[in-house]
Amino acid sequence: MPDDQPAAEVRLTEKQALDMLAFLASSAEISLHEPTYYGTFRLIDAASRLMGYLLESNPELADSFMPAWKADIDTRKVWMMWDRPAYYQFLKETPAVVAEEIRRREEGA
Amino acid sequence: MAARQMDPDAFFQVLKTRRVCRSFTGEPVSDEHLTRIIEAARWASSAGNRHIHKFLVVRNPDTIRNIRSVAPGMLSEPPAAVVILTDAEAARRESIQLELDTANHGDVGTAAMNMLNMAHALGLGACPVTSFSHSGVAVMLGLPPHLEPEWIIMLGHPAPVERNLNAGAPKPLTARDLTWWDAVGQHEP
Repeated sequence: MPDDQPAAEVRLTEKQALDMLAFLASSAEISLHEPTYYGTFRLIDAASRLMGYLLESNPELADSFMPAWKADIDTRKVWMMWDRPAYYQFLKETPAVVAEEIRRREEGA
Repeated sequence: MAARQMDPDAFFQVLKTRRVCRSFTGEPVSDEHLTRIIEAARWASSAGNRHIHKFLVVRNPDTIRNIRSVAPGMLSEPPAAVVILTDAEAARRESIQLELDTANHGDVGTAAMNMLNMAHALGLGACPVTSFSHSGVAVMLGLPPHLEPEWIIMLGHPAPVERNLNAGAPKPLTARDLTWWDAVGQHEP
């Protein structure tokens, strides 16, 4: 987003924000005893949940990159349970989706 | 019905076709089905016939959403859930020292397994959840201190989901992979 343009505002309800906080705090707690790779799963699932709440509360985001990215995360995150190499490859690839979105906005495309 | 009159193939089919289900339609689970699932849990093996567990059925969507907020292992919001609780007062009456007891979690598992299989036999989907904050769930459910949440069983009507397995995905383990006969490393009977 160019500096001279106001950033679009998105919102969460208080309930959604509290749910996210509870999810993140609970994920921190259970990471004390779960296998280490579950930590990666909690983080990518948090991204999906946050997008879910954003899409719930901001209908205008339906045309953004989020619905497709959330669907892709929800499909591939569960590979952690039966195809860990593919899951790790997914984790390596997926940040590029939002990185490209940030660049696209910066360039005003 | 005596066990010998059962059809073992039909029974095994229930066991073999059950899968963990994490996506549900919005259709409610009937009280009749929930009652049968709890009955199945009641008939699970219980070490020493102690029965120190309780089963809390949760159907209120707001409560389920609250539980999910502190249960990262709940990947969706099911229409119903059963929380398996250890009753510390029941354990005390049975002179069980929970911090030393090794059977408690086994009994939670057998009760859960009976519920998962019964749900599948009824055409429902189910998923056991162990990844949650015990203190958080206790608060969301208003549990008194002597009731400890152990596992959550998500229940609902399964939504169709494409599993999307990669061609190179590891092959599922077989019973042979997991079994030794008479000596460690001996895979054949």
